[in-house]
Amino acid sequence: MSELSVSHPLTGDAFLPDDFELRGSTPAEVDSNFASQNYWKDVFKRFVSNKGAIVSLVVILLLCLLAAFGPKMTGYTYATQTLSEKNFAPRVPGLEKFGIFDGNEALRTTSGVKIINGYTQKGLTDTYYWFGSDTLGRDIWTRVWEGTRISLSIAVLAAVIDMIIGMSYGLISGYFGGRVDNIMQRIAEIINGIPRLVVVTLLMLVLPRGFATIVFALLITEWIGMSRIARAEMLKLKEQEFVLASRTLGAKDFTIIFREILPNIIGQIITQLMFSIPTAIFTEAFLSFVGLGIPVPMCSLGSLISDAFNSFTTHPYQIIPPIVVLACLMLCFNMLADGLREAFDPKLKEM
Amino acid sequence: MHKYILKRIFLSVFTLLAITLVLFTLLQFMPGSPFNDEKLTDDQRTVLNAKYGLDQPVYVQFGKYVSNMVQGDFGVSYNISKNTPISQLIQTRLPVSIRIGGMAVGLGAIVGLIFGVIAALNHNTFWDTLCTAVSVLGVSVPSYVFALALSYTFGFRLSWLPMLYSSKAEFASSVMPSIALGMFTMASIARFTRTEMLEVLGSDYMLLAESKGISGAPLILRHALRNAMIPIITVLAPLIVDLMTGSLVVEKIFSIPGVGSLLVTAIQSNDYNVVISLSFIYSAMYIGIMLVVDLLYGLIDPRIRITKEGGNA
Repeated sequence: MSELSVSHPLTGDAFLPDDFELRGSTPAEVDSNFASQNYWKDVFKRFVSNKGAIVSLVVILLLCLLAAFGPKMTGYTYATQTLSEKNFAPRVPGLEKFGIFDGNEALRTTSGVKIINGYTQKGLTDTYYWFGSDTLGRDIWTRVWEGTRISLSIAVLAAVIDMIIGMSYGLISGYFGGRVDNIMQRIAEIINGIPRLVVVTLLMLVLPRGFATIVFALLITEWIGMSRIARAEMLKLKEQEFVLASRTLGAKDFTIIFREILPNIIGQIITQLMFSIPTAIFTEAFLSFVGLGIPVPMCSLGSLISDAFNSFTTHPYQIIPPIVVLACLMLCFNMLADGLREAFDPKLKEM
Repeated sequence: MHKYILKRIFLSVFTLLAITLVLFTLLQFMPGSPFNDEKLTDDQRTVLNAKYGLDQPVYVQFGKYVSNMVQGDFGVSYNISKNTPISQLIQTRLPVSIRIGGMAVGLGAIVGLIFGVIAALNHNTFWDTLCTAVSVLGVSVPSYVFALALSYTFGFRLSWLPMLYSSKAEFASSVMPSIALGMFTMASIARFTRTEMLEVLGSDYMLLAESKGISGAPLILRHALRNAMIPIITVLAPLIVDLMTGSLVVEKIFSIPGVGSLLVTAIQSNDYNVVISLSFIYSAMYIGIMLVVDLLYGLIDPRIRITKEGGNA
């Protein structure tokens, strides 16, 4: 190729080396207004700009901290019963001077409202139940955070196992397609055709009551949603060039599924994971409320609500803390998941 | 289309049968026995087992059970009210549950639609934010929290509505349970309607309709909402199903004599037969609703009808 044999198509003159000039002297211009950014940096920026999601994240972290350290902050344990100190209204040192949280409780009877104070009646000047005490004289503060801890651990554990099962199922089903997909989808359809309520109820009856059983019952019903998302994403991606390229280079099926495609859909998976945590919290609370939850003396948010429900007109302060924590958790996890979804898929934001 | 309908019906029946088998198998492993009165001798137990056919092989029991259920005979209750046919127990309770469930769905759907349309028409304004906030709250907070809050404020403190269900004041005592149950439906529908409406409002055919001089209510109702409704119908089905779960707790809170509270009682007193029957009914209703919605969807949206006629659904 040392001799140029190319000639101009119109004039027929041969090209000389001087006819061309190297453009190496000026570097290619880089767009500095819309600089290309790392995908994760982009996601992070969009997430941080969502105020609701950030507030939710902070609240969740705060509740987690309280769940971890709350039970140890007072001298009580979640199971100790002091029957002489039952149904005490909340009393907090410091705040009691302002007329709130001073242990006073208004009892509404047909003859009118009567203010009683269990602490002064019993002459206990040095006893404080920050959230009050329940019908068996247990400290509600300790029990609420203990319950939050159990509810959260159940939910997170179930959601993570669900994610692993559902994700693998959906990815495999979508990737192989054809008969494999057909059979796997029919199985999922049949399982999905059984109401969650029925499955969970029956499982709780058959298996011994406890932490592991609740997790198991939750994961048997919850993986389907995750598998659907994973399958849909897989169907979108599997015909793309990078998959073909990887296959041409000799990658095995499982390498393609879990090393090539999975990182591309991790955003959707995390979003779905965040959405399944509140569902799990809710289902657990529902089970406890119906009487199929965690066995006594352990407690979860659901069982606390269920216990306090029996006396919620006379002692409303007993039911308020677990309900507020439960509602906060569900709200925050939903808002966090919404924020994540928008951060991962900015097209949704316009909606 | 016929092929698709047949396929869906076949799959539904198969699912129901599979559920019955699962229910039956699970119940074989349940702890406790319906005859665990300590005064019973072993001989009496054998007699009782023979009387209720519990001594026969499992597959015989199952076959008999399925054939009975097809005929609407769910057997008798062991514990809750001795020897009463379950169909009779359910007959009195199902209408109550369906009425409250129906009220909840109706209320939720209508209010949700209105909220969604308002939010979409006033996109990015105060009303939009308010509707979104209400719907986020409604989706996130469980129905029994609403039930307890309503019951405390309007039932106990203000005494506007009865706290507990009474058959004398059916409507008044159904109001609070329906609102509590319907909140989730309302919130989900509002959210979904908003999204769909925004999409429809931005479409070309809306621009065309507007440029043809259509405006006001006909534009929104006939052109926008009608198209937005299609996907909304699909979310309604799972919502109705969620309602069934919610009804258990809400029925307990308001002591409504419905199917949900019957199931809770049956679970707590080991009344197997009632648990199986109710699970079967719940499953049948669930599968039925899913089937109807799937077929309806095909009828409403011509695009789907055409794709499904191709044979591959």
